[in-house]
Amino acid sequence: MTEREASPTGGSAEGGSMDAPLLEAPADAVAGEVVLRLTDVVKTFPGVRALDGVQLEVRAGEVHCLLGQNGAGKSTLIKVLSGVHRPDTGQVEWRGEPVSFANPQAAMRAGIATIYQELDLVEDLSVSENAFLGHEPRRLGFVRRGHMARRTRQILGRLGHAEIPPNRMVRALPAAGKQVVSMARALSHEARLIIMDEPSAVLAHDEVGNLFRIIRELTAQGIAVIYISHRLEEIREIGDRVTVLKDGRTTAANLPARDTPTRDLVNRMTGRTIEYVFPERPADATPADADLLEVEGLTRAGEFTDVSLRVRPGEVVGIAGLVGSGRSELLETIYGARRPEAGTVRMAGRVLRPGSVGAAVRAGMGMAPEERKSQALLLGEPVYRNVTLATFARYARAGFTDTGRERAEADRIAESLELRPRDVRRPVRTLSGGNQQKVVVGRWLLGDTKLLLLDEPTRGVDVGARAELYQVIRALAERGVGVLLVSSEVPEVLGLADRVLVMREGRVVREAPAGELDENTVLDLVMAGSLMEGAAA
Amino acid sequence: MTEHSRDLSRRRLLFGGAAVGAGVLLAGCTSNESDQPSAAQTKGADAAAGGNAAPGERVTIGFSAPAADHGWLAAITTNAKAQAGAYSDVEFKTVEAGADAAAQRAALSTLISQKPDVIVLLPHDGKELNAAGLEAMKAGIPVVNLDRAFPDALAYRLQIKGDNYGMGVAAAHFIIDQLKAKGVSNPIIGEIAGTDSLELTQERSKGFADTLRQNGLTVNNRRPAEFTADSGQQAATSLFQALPKIDAIWNHDDDQGIGVLAAVTQANRKEFFMVGGAGSKKAIEDIQADNTVLKATVTYSPSMASSAISLARLIAQGKGMSDLVELQVPKEIILASETITKENASNYLKLGF
Amino acid sequence: MSDVTDTSTPERPAQLPAQSPPVDPAETAAAEQRGAGRLSWWRGEGGEGARRNLWLIGVLVALIVIGVITRPDLYGDSSWVWSNILVILKLASVVGVVTVGMTFVIIGGGIDLSVGAIVALAGVWATTVATQSYGAGGMIFCALAVGLGVGLVNGVLISYGRLVPFIATLAMLVAARGLAAELSDKQTQVSENTTINGIASTNLLGIPLLVYILAAVVLAGWVLLNRTTFGRRTVAVGGNPEAARLAGIDVKRHTVLLYALSGLCCGIAAIMLTAQATSAQAAMANLYELDAIAAAIIGGTLLSGGRGTIIGSLLGVIIFSTITNLFAINGLTTEAQNMVKGGIIVAAVLVQQVQFRSLTQFLGRNRLTTN
Repeated sequence: MTEREASPTGGSAEGGSMDAPLLEAPADAVAGEVVLRLTDVVKTFPGVRALDGVQLEVRAGEVHCLLGQNGAGKSTLIKVLSGVHRPDTGQVEWRGEPVSFANPQAAMRAGIATIYQELDLVEDLSVSENAFLGHEPRRLGFVRRGHMARRTRQILGRLGHAEIPPNRMVRALPAAGKQVVSMARALSHEARLIIMDEPSAVLAHDEVGNLFRIIRELTAQGIAVIYISHRLEEIREIGDRVTVLKDGRTTAANLPARDTPTRDLVNRMTGRTIEYVFPERPADATPADADLLEVEGLTRAGEFTDVSLRVRPGEVVGIAGLVGSGRSELLETIYGARRPEAGTVRMAGRVLRPGSVGAAVRAGMGMAPEERKSQALLLGEPVYRNVTLATFARYARAGFTDTGRERAEADRIAESLELRPRDVRRPVRTLSGGNQQKVVVGRWLLGDTKLLLLDEPTRGVDVGARAELYQVIRALAERGVGVLLVSSEVPEVLGLADRVLVMREGRVVREAPAGELDENTVLDLVMAGSLMEGAAA
Repeated sequence: MTEHSRDLSRRRLLFGGAAVGAGVLLAGCTSNESDQPSAAQTKGADAAAGGNAAPGERVTIGFSAPAADHGWLAAITTNAKAQAGAYSDVEFKTVEAGADAAAQRAALSTLISQKPDVIVLLPHDGKELNAAGLEAMKAGIPVVNLDRAFPDALAYRLQIKGDNYGMGVAAAHFIIDQLKAKGVSNPIIGEIAGTDSLELTQERSKGFADTLRQNGLTVNNRRPAEFTADSGQQAATSLFQALPKIDAIWNHDDDQGIGVLAAVTQANRKEFFMVGGAGSKKAIEDIQADNTVLKATVTYSPSMASSAISLARLIAQGKGMSDLVELQVPKEIILASETITKENASNYLKLGF
Repeated sequence: MSDVTDTSTPERPAQLPAQSPPVDPAETAAAEQRGAGRLSWWRGEGGEGARRNLWLIGVLVALIVIGVITRPDLYGDSSWVWSNILVILKLASVVGVVTVGMTFVIIGGGIDLSVGAIVALAGVWATTVATQSYGAGGMIFCALAVGLGVGLVNGVLISYGRLVPFIATLAMLVAARGLAAELSDKQTQVSENTTINGIASTNLLGIPLLVYILAAVVLAGWVLLNRTTFGRRTVAVGGNPEAARLAGIDVKRHTVLLYALSGLCCGIAAIMLTAQATSAQAAMANLYELDAIAAAIIGGTLLSGGRGTIIGSLLGVIIFSTITNLFAINGLTTEAQNMVKGGIIVAAVLVQQVQFRSLTQFLGRNRLTTN
């Protein structure tokens, strides 16, 4: 594909540095030799092109940051590098030679270590046993425990954490300590490249500084680090160069981490390759009906704090926020799938029993959860049974299901949602992502759903189906259904919602009609909060 | 509270009430008390003609047997207890043998430390508890081994056991005699064995097969059960299906025989006669009544536990068996497997378990 | 196209069935659509279960053919053949009833290791002297109530006590057999009740009452699974508990009901088994849990939940009972019989895997050829 310039939406055009050709590092950026080079890497899964031409170049001794929205392909890229997946096409060059890792062990042996967000440590083994897991120093089949402990101590020393005893059980360590053990494992393999997937997400604020100190120790020893984070300020602090991914493609490579303006980075992440068409909002504002949903002071420690919000019938309310901002958890709590520690949820004036999905559904709520396959669908079951999953009991007579009626109702839904293929007896497994999402949304078109909660409704959904889903959501609102929508894609929230709430770190930092906000404002609020902090709360 | 939830709570209350009611009812159904006094196989102290039954020196008898999972084992413990109770000069101390050999070993060392005058022991496994027998003997406590022999002769003072091979022999003899009397040539013979993996089952089957072979006969079909009535019923049903006509059946165990007889009724088969094994009370009653296919049973009697207690007492008191010339109790007693038939059933009724 | 068909699965017909939906040319994932067209026939409603059951019926026929070859003398007698069919069904009846309950539990994502123990406890409880004094009605009520009660305890421990089903029912296995031994004082309790005992010896129209009971339970189970909201919830809860929960289904309560249903089936089985053996004891129904699980698996029930059929489970039980019969009429040892049973379990699972693998291979190739 040709490198297409992202079109900043409504932002000022101060992104001069973006005109530099891609894949050409600024001369002064890093001096080290290139250890890793990816050229046009493509990886497809059934129904989705997860990587669609990725370029990446990492030099020894640098911290190379990967930036991209959810679903941009970062996770897939990590898995390709760490040997979990093999690319369909394209070239991976490791230290000057083309490679294709058959499995994670092969990548490890080659010197590429990955530290996942959920650390893959064995909690009930000691620090040294974890560090050398799978390649324990042995003599005649016996593990050389003393030798192993000595080497672990050495490595921990290199990481500046000589105080961690090698024989301590990993279970007894705090999160930051566990992360150090993960890195010790990487070093025990003589890793030349360490990939860190959102390492700061599990750490408290003051521990992040320590993490950075360790990363500097590593790079000073010539080790390359690929650092993935959503937090721009971290990238500014620790990163040397930045590569931005969007829709599985590299949209910008090797930008200097410290000087590239925030706006440029953001535009690279969001710059749409396709403009979505959002349905028109009805000209006349919704009559000020009584509130349909009233959420008052909802709190769950560590997830979100003191959230209050309202949704009126026929209104689409959008919540913008990153993963970890508490938005999905908030939605699930409103729906009764999680039990709040404080606060109330009211539907049409009646308080709902906390922590009861059944009560929420009976009150007229429906939800399309974030993880379609694991949270919403019975993949092996036919479409119609998935559509009627929440309503089959209503069509039943004396406990006997009426599959004929269910099929007819599902047919009607399939028709109105333009489900492809239309056959409702087909297992859901065989449908594309967008059509699966239609099935999940369609479920709540049956029965008397008054409020629909949508968590990332367009994730993994192709372009055409997206536009259709937007139409469906708008049509629902016009029928008087309230919609509460969560999305990481800011344009989607702005384009679809009547009113927008911006969440960061578990709090609502801004609430305004969609017309009063633009993408950059929201992104600033969502990511760094540097521009509009004062205006919020 | 809304209409809906009030309705719900009333339903819950009703349901809860019903559940509690059913629970109370069921709790009342756990009793097994019947009018009949529990029968144990004892030899009355007063009935003895010799002087051995007369109260003598006070002795303590320690006793250990595995937890019963079968009528026969249950009868062993019952009999031992009852026999000890029949003597005014015996103090009976029983320890739980637990679930396996290791548990029984632990229980036995506790028993040994209490220094009883004699120990009567039905081990989980003779080989595994050999050491425990040795330990007790070394401590000067004579050990009476019941049913499952120790390999080491130094580990016991007296061994008293049944004769599994002999059971098979006795059952075969009865069948051969009956068939001869009826003049059946080329008879069809079935066998319903106990749990096949047990050595005792193999011994019984070997005795049966050996004796038949000496007389030119063979077992036509052999189905093992598991010493339980339901498994006996199923094994018998299979056997009947395999052999449309049968002349004689030996069923190893009278407990599982309850199921075998049920299968006979259910299949409506009458053309054969059956020999049982072990000698349960119900089997002996059936034989006496002579209204089923069960015509005989060969004993492997839990009465050996009663005898073991009697002999243990004599050992502790230093006495011999009054009918023997020897001044001490012999070292080994193997009970003959007796054949109970309609003719002698009344004699055995009190020994049935 | 045809070579794909030939190598992956010989049974599949070469052309698409007529009801295959038209392919929308605008759809980008055309390959996937094509695969899906085939899939609807493969995995469509009923089709899959029927095909799997066909395989089981094939095994059954093979077993009977072996019987005919090895014992032509017996199979030559038509009255014997009829009685043999009834005996096989009778032998299958008790485990069959237990397996219906087990199938529900497994489809619902659980496992019940305590079924044999529940049968024993219910049987023993129903044959105590005190219970027998209430007559046949009292005994039946007792067995059903005990089965249901123990099942409820299992369900509550698993749902609300958050115990893993394997652990909870393993504990129940031990405890229920212990209680049964305690109640019976380790004795075999003879049922003196002629009505109860008659259940096993009564024939209606030449067919044993036990077979009618099995048929009734299987029919009820089939209707419950395929035609009621209960069955639909069972599939949902086992197939994707999170999706079921988020669709407003009370997963915990339904789980309790599943184990209660299994317990109730055990109560019914206890009465049948007590009637057959005219007695009950703590050691009865030994290892029925394994027979029931094995039968369900052979019948195509997915051990991870979400898929399974009552008819498949029934066929699984009947296959086992036919093997027992086959070995009995040939006078072979039970050791060999157990080895064959084990082999059939492995074969059943392999067949299922091969079907799945050929399916994915087929999909994979199809995609490559169009890209």
